[in-house]
Amino acid sequence: MSVYITRENKVLVQGMTGQEGSYWTKHMRELGTDVVFGVTPGKEGQAVDGVPVYHSIENGLKEHPADTAMLFVPPKFTKDAVFEALDAGILKVVTVAEGIPLHEMLQIRKAALACGAMVVGGNTSGVISAGEAMLGMFPYWISRVYTPGKIGVMTRSGSLTNEVTAEVVKAGFGLSTLVGVGGDQVPFTRFAEVLALFEADPATEAVVMVGELGGTMEEEVAEAIEAGEFTKPLVAFIGGRTAPEGKRMGHAGAIAAGGRGTAKGKAEALVRAGAGVAARPREVGPLLRQALGV
Amino acid sequence: MKLFEYQAKEAFAAAGIPVPASRLVTDPAQARAAAAEIGLPCVIKAQVLTGGRGKAGLIKLAKSPDEVTDIAARLLGDKSRVITRLLVEQAVDFVREVYLSITVDPPSGKVVIMACAEGGVDIEQLAATAPEKISRTLVDIDQGLQAFQIKNVVFALGLAGGETGKQAAAVVRNLYGVFRKLDAELTEINPLFVTTDGQVVAGDGKLSIDDNSLSRQPGYELSREYFDSDTEFEAAKDGIPYLQFDGDISLMCAGAGLTTTVFDLINYEGGSVANYLEFGGPNYRRAKEAMELCLKNDCKVLLIVTFGTIARADVMAEGVVAAMQALKPRVPIVTCIRGTNEEEATATLRAAGLTPLFDTEEAVRKAVALAAGGKS
Repeated sequence: MSVYITRENKVLVQGMTGQEGSYWTKHMRELGTDVVFGVTPGKEGQAVDGVPVYHSIENGLKEHPADTAMLFVPPKFTKDAVFEALDAGILKVVTVAEGIPLHEMLQIRKAALACGAMVVGGNTSGVISAGEAMLGMFPYWISRVYTPGKIGVMTRSGSLTNEVTAEVVKAGFGLSTLVGVGGDQVPFTRFAEVLALFEADPATEAVVMVGELGGTMEEEVAEAIEAGEFTKPLVAFIGGRTAPEGKRMGHAGAIAAGGRGTAKGKAEALVRAGAGVAARPREVGPLLRQALGV
Repeated sequence: MKLFEYQAKEAFAAAGIPVPASRLVTDPAQARAAAAEIGLPCVIKAQVLTGGRGKAGLIKLAKSPDEVTDIAARLLGDKSRVITRLLVEQAVDFVREVYLSITVDPPSGKVVIMACAEGGVDIEQLAATAPEKISRTLVDIDQGLQAFQIKNVVFALGLAGGETGKQAAAVVRNLYGVFRKLDAELTEINPLFVTTDGQVVAGDGKLSIDDNSLSRQPGYELSREYFDSDTEFEAAKDGIPYLQFDGDISLMCAGAGLTTTVFDLINYEGGSVANYLEFGGPNYRRAKEAMELCLKNDCKVLLIVTFGTIARADVMAEGVVAAMQALKPRVPIVTCIRGTNEEEATATLRAAGLTPLFDTEEAVRKAVALAAGGKS
């Protein structure tokens, strides 16, 4: 079992004929994702890996029902592509684009909230249910990282997630679903919203959160735990505890200013809420074992 | 992209927000001439991007022409930082200072206007000690700013009523216009003055443009003065995330979160970072440019940590080896390159005479030990 993406989902891919779109569509299908059609304006009638391409979502939906959209669309066109999916009634949308204009990020977040959709991204690798299906760009064949299991992972990073997830696997666990909410200032889906999915998923026994400085998402998770909205064990790793204030640490969203958004403050809030907090990636495995009593 | 005060005020003035008369100058003689035009007393303000200029002595009141020349010479000659431009500005006789800013509110997907009747103070400190004094008005970016919201902000500023209230309302409306039109990440007026004759004037100005929107904001281009060091400027032109520090270990890592974590681990182990450089994502084939930037530092060790998936390990290892051959670094290199095709990567590194490591903490400890050894 898993959250967000399973083999039951019918997936359409926007930007499927592009270099990344075609490469990762093949891998998504290899893992087990049911990709039903692709969309590239002007390329209706073509196919990628045997999957038909249409001019628009509207055209594709006439032949193939779908419930999920995967975007391999450049940042400049992401808002339009997300709106096309939402307009067609698609309620799960994943966008990997890095560099979406900030004011358009607000418009996307607000539109998703207004129609009850869960848009994941941008600036992420996507979502993977280990051993089952994925939306995005994950080399699922690396078993040191993507072993199936019972731990839900949510993260703002890519490479750091591999570092942390490898520790989860090393400790004898595996992943149910990994949700990359992305490294931007305005993630379209926030950690606390992913947490609700993991809470409801009987196959997820505990959650690992890979956070970092900047924003308030980790604090919101601490609040959800304190409010009793999340009742499973949670282990967090927060990057940037020694980062200087006012410096943007790689990700657009990774900046602390005026005493707010510090990694230290986040770690303290999570400890107060009863979560396990690892100071180093290698502490994640032992903390998880302790939390699950194994 | 954080702009200078004079640029923020140009944008404000263009949008109809009252600002004090001012001249931008680059030497003491120009400053004296500007003061003669504007009138004394005047305020001389160093144009630097760091906050807390008042406390740092970078904003000074001058009452005579000689004082103008002296202050200008002293600021421009300050050896501890690079100051190339001064804003010579009319001193404002004010009776009140208030605070107004606009930024994004990620949870709601809206714009947030923050207002406080107590301005001119350290607003972050106030937010920590008395957050109830700061009002937050959320604006739907598609609906735009509504009249009732402007009214609420003006009430929160404590400026409702009369001509002052009307002017404050116009400032709120126009500042929102600046925020939207320039794709701002943040714009702030602190203090917003109310003068002795009831006028509302922007005393200071902050404006930061969203980096992802710079391509559609042609008025603002990257130049050296926006950066603390030459290397940071070069890295920005190359599109490689880079931060300058002054320690011993140069980080050439891939993945923002992982690089930040390596940065933490070095500090935990008692080491010090020379620079933060991240060549993952779209830059993973650019090891040579990355290494060139790192070697501009007076560092003792180069530490390379990656765990890439799309950013393939084999490609990065080949890039590192090619960069070593081209640049012949004199400092030791510690590698911990993992991820997609890491077996090939390992073979490539070994063939080049390196001893690849696979554990991040082990690599960090080795780099810290090498850096310490280099000191004695």
